[in-house]
Amino acid sequence: MLGALWLAGTNAFALAIPWLLKLAIEGLQRPATAQHAPSYYALMIITAALLQGIIRIFSRTTLLHAGRRIEFALREELYARLLTLDLPYFQRERTGDILSRFSNDLTNIRMLMGFGVLNVINTLILYIAAIVLMLRLSPILTICALLPFPVTILVVKRLSATMYRRSIRAQEELARLTSRAEESVSAAVVVRAYCREEGETDSFRTVSSSYLDSNMQMARLRGMMIPIMAATGAMGTLIILFIGGSRVISGELTLGDFVAFNGYLAMLVWPTLMLGWILNLMQRGAASMARLNGVLNARPTVTEPAAPADVGEIGGEIEFRNLSFSYAADSAMVLQNISLLIGKGTKIGIVGAIGSGKSTLARLIPRLYPVPDETILIDGTDINCLPLARLRDAIGFVPQESFLFSRTIGDNIAFGRDGAGEEEIAAAARVASLDQDIERFPAGLQTLVGERGVTLSGGQKQRVSIARALLKDPQILILDDPLSAVDARTEEAILRDLESYYAGRTVLIVSHRLSAVRGCDTIIVLDQGRIVEQGSHGELLALNGRYAAIHREQQLREEIERF
Amino acid sequence: MHFGGLYEDEIVGKAYDRRLMARFLRYVAPYRKLAVVVLAILPLAAGAKLAQPWLMKLAIDNHLIKGEMTGLPLLATGFLGLILAESLLTFAEVWLLQHMGQKVMFDLRMELFSHLQRLPVRFFDRTPTGSLVTRLTSDVEVLGEMFAAGIITVVGDIMVLAGIVGIMLWMNLKLSLVTFSVLPVLVWIAFTFRKRMRTAYRQVRARLANLNSFLNESIHGMAVVQLFNRQKTEQQEFTRLNADYRDANLPVITWDASLYAMVEALSSVAIGLIVWYGGGEIVRGNLSFGALVAFIQYIEKFFSPIRDLSSKYSVMQGAMAALERIFHLLDTEKDEMGTDLISTHQNRSVPISTIDFRDVWFAYNNDDYVLKGLNLTLRRGEKVAMVGETGGGKTTVTRLLSRFYEVSRGSIAIDGTDIRELSLHGLRRRIGVVLQDPFLFTGTIRFNISLGNPGAESRVEVAARIVGADRFIRRLPLGFDEEVREKGSNLSAGERQLISFARAVAFDPEILVLDEATASVDTASERLIQEGLKGLMAGRTTLVVAHRLSTIRDADRIVVIHRGEKVEEGSHEELMAQQGLYYRLYQLQFRD
Repeated sequence: MLGALWLAGTNAFALAIPWLLKLAIEGLQRPATAQHAPSYYALMIITAALLQGIIRIFSRTTLLHAGRRIEFALREELYARLLTLDLPYFQRERTGDILSRFSNDLTNIRMLMGFGVLNVINTLILYIAAIVLMLRLSPILTICALLPFPVTILVVKRLSATMYRRSIRAQEELARLTSRAEESVSAAVVVRAYCREEGETDSFRTVSSSYLDSNMQMARLRGMMIPIMAATGAMGTLIILFIGGSRVISGELTLGDFVAFNGYLAMLVWPTLMLGWILNLMQRGAASMARLNGVLNARPTVTEPAAPADVGEIGGEIEFRNLSFSYAADSAMVLQNISLLIGKGTKIGIVGAIGSGKSTLARLIPRLYPVPDETILIDGTDINCLPLARLRDAIGFVPQESFLFSRTIGDNIAFGRDGAGEEEIAAAARVASLDQDIERFPAGLQTLVGERGVTLSGGQKQRVSIARALLKDPQILILDDPLSAVDARTEEAILRDLESYYAGRTVLIVSHRLSAVRGCDTIIVLDQGRIVEQGSHGELLALNGRYAAIHREQQLREEIERF
Repeated sequence: MHFGGLYEDEIVGKAYDRRLMARFLRYVAPYRKLAVVVLAILPLAAGAKLAQPWLMKLAIDNHLIKGEMTGLPLLATGFLGLILAESLLTFAEVWLLQHMGQKVMFDLRMELFSHLQRLPVRFFDRTPTGSLVTRLTSDVEVLGEMFAAGIITVVGDIMVLAGIVGIMLWMNLKLSLVTFSVLPVLVWIAFTFRKRMRTAYRQVRARLANLNSFLNESIHGMAVVQLFNRQKTEQQEFTRLNADYRDANLPVITWDASLYAMVEALSSVAIGLIVWYGGGEIVRGNLSFGALVAFIQYIEKFFSPIRDLSSKYSVMQGAMAALERIFHLLDTEKDEMGTDLISTHQNRSVPISTIDFRDVWFAYNNDDYVLKGLNLTLRRGEKVAMVGETGGGKTTVTRLLSRFYEVSRGSIAIDGTDIRELSLHGLRRRIGVVLQDPFLFTGTIRFNISLGNPGAESRVEVAARIVGADRFIRRLPLGFDEEVREKGSNLSAGERQLISFARAVAFDPEILVLDEATASVDTASERLIQEGLKGLMAGRTTLVVAHRLSTIRDADRIVVIHRGEKVEEGSHEELMAQQGLYYRLYQLQFRD
């Protein structure tokens, strides 16, 4: 509102200038009847100009700042929504797409709320005022001079709509080009190993060429835009020159009127062009808002319970009750009829072939995916009835692919617990056999991870990820194949050190290595989503089934090698 | 916990750098004919623009004041002609310029990309992917903006400005000088503001980069954030970065608005000056009314290019910085494969019989040697396994053989010829490398196995069968034509590994290099793969990096690498008998 007021002020002074000009010229033509000297009008014009300038600063800053503030608030809301969305959402949506909503779509909205609003108000005020003044000068001339304007608005609108469509396509092409470039750079070693340099260059040329094509089309459209702008103003001038000129000659109009008229018309050219542009901006803004709403209205499938169960301290007993699971309604079952009771403080190992459902089973416990009701229970309570934060607080989860943030190593380890002391962090690192590595880093725990700091090896990342889970001091510890990237000796050390940490906790180890689960109280063997065998290492060997077969194979090799 | 600090430092330089420009012009050279046409159009367009107020002056002085109707229609027709001419010429100018710009951008982008393809692996180790992608995308785009807004348009603007100044001086010297008295103020404003805006704008860019990379990371690590109940703190951190970004923008808006408003105001002040001094001149009879009106119109036309001069300046400045970065990348040493020696050793009909590592030393940085005087010989058809602790240098050995890196000291020779004397392609075609991290491209599974190589294409299905990948591939809805998503996210780690095995098999190499290839595959798949590889390895010299001893069962020879040195070598039995390092490594894995 304040912005609109400022704008009205700006325009009032801007509109005064041609009128002053008219008075000045009329005065010059008939010096005898002139009320004031030309220098008086000149001074008035300069005053008006300066005042207009000062007020314009306020009007623009007020409105454009508002645009930025709206953008800020929307971005906050978007991010808050993202934090509530679940893993299926992030697997469905591409990261680039989400990021583009945060940048491009948000920019469109900001433009609409800032420049758009500014120009709409400005145009409205200017149009009404200028047209009233022009009508006072000459009604017929006004109508004639404004004749090309609606045409221009329509042409600009159509043109910029086409341009927008084309620019979307160009943006898509650029996105494709970007991901092609990114892929090729990340694959530098593979490309070299397989002598694919030429092939890469060719495929990049293909995407580059189609990007070039869509840009060429854009160039033609852009080329048309500027002359249309220029022509609109000039056409108005032409009409004034011809019709207005003859009226000056016939004495119906003074030269001052003529000049003032010209001035007003010039003032209207720019807003008219903007109007065409804004009409598109509104469409674009609406489309962007729809895309933002796509995020804002997204609801996680993993939700807080409507009526949270009232539970005390989580003990750590886990029960799977006839659990079947698939990632999507129409896709194959990943887990089928899993029933298993894991007592508090037991250590359970899960082994099985690739795709047998080991990791899925692990990921369901902290509800990374939606879990059917009454299929997973902790201490006898359906996990769907536990408040999410309570459930996840009780679980230390070490994922298969360790994800570290570009922060310090210490921050990464302390991720799950605010205010963890240096001592505790160091202790967790020690249990995860990370202490010696940390000593070697330039700034110890304060060393930054990632592009701006040290690059950790796969094994180091996994150990940071383990330390992070340990520091949480969880009742349930889930290790989803966390040792894949460390060598035998480190694996040995971690397992040994973790052993002391396990005490009293429920531990779930998913692994493809038998050595990792050998010491578990119970080992289950999964095959195509079903538990096919279950028991301790000794029992499973005695069972003489699949587990024993895998074991025998290893033994056999061992024996062969012993010869 | 703080996430922040500046990302890539911006190079802030001059808006015009002769050295960069001269080099850049070489890229424009192929399109010089277009450039000549544009340069020819510029004065014509400027002329058509500048003649319009002059016609207005004629109309006022010769017709309106004198009340002379005859000739006015003719003048109006002339005016219409000028409008049409200006429109068409401007269209041609803008279009041709952009056309040219796009072509130049395409050429430059392609040159950059193929240059990247020839850079050594070492280069990629120390250069973040993001910055290279930026070179190929944003930096090249900035050059496009230069074509759209800067460079030649500036020439046109200067012509218009010079034309206006000339005409005004010619029409009335004194009035012109009075009017132009606002110019020093204008120049002062433009420069002061530009300097402040540049600083402010740099902060905006840095903070946006921070915000975006935080967001990017946050999305990738969302599962971790949620598992650790960190939503609240992440939100706080995001709010901080978001507010920082907003706050950096506000002064930019204020400066920009002020600049805009003041230029606008100055143009009105100039009109005031014209009325003040021009009025006197009319009274004195030195100036006609028409000339006064023309003066006002000229001054309006004078300010419009100046209004966006500052934005053009920053475009030019951005373009120069982009050029600097692009040329810097183009000047990075290529692999020596440009020389591509065609030697007899490339001939496949002569199979490799020995590979010799002779006193090989290697350091990734300075004197931090990863390999210290390694000696190793591989004979034809032999399978050699390297074992040892992580970081001992095993992986490095395989990378040196493919010449991803050059040895620091010593040599690697194939049949007595130093690999540095072989062509890179020739060498690499004979070596099948299975990397630790199986990289998958977006494309079909078939493409990921063959990588578009015609020879490999015919062996895709056989290769998949050999490594046991065909079983899971056939279960996919589209089989071999199933699309692999971004970085293979729709496949499991083991499946990705199998595809990379199949890839190595499809290329049918003479020497096979496996780098910890079996590390993330479960026992059952590992057995399958090893069976497949057994067939593949027959007659192929194979070098295996193994962390897990079970993979070296079939090795003819085992080499124990420890801290960059070969400490033990021999058959399993021999090494076990030695009761040395190998014995211990072995105990660790199989002790029961």
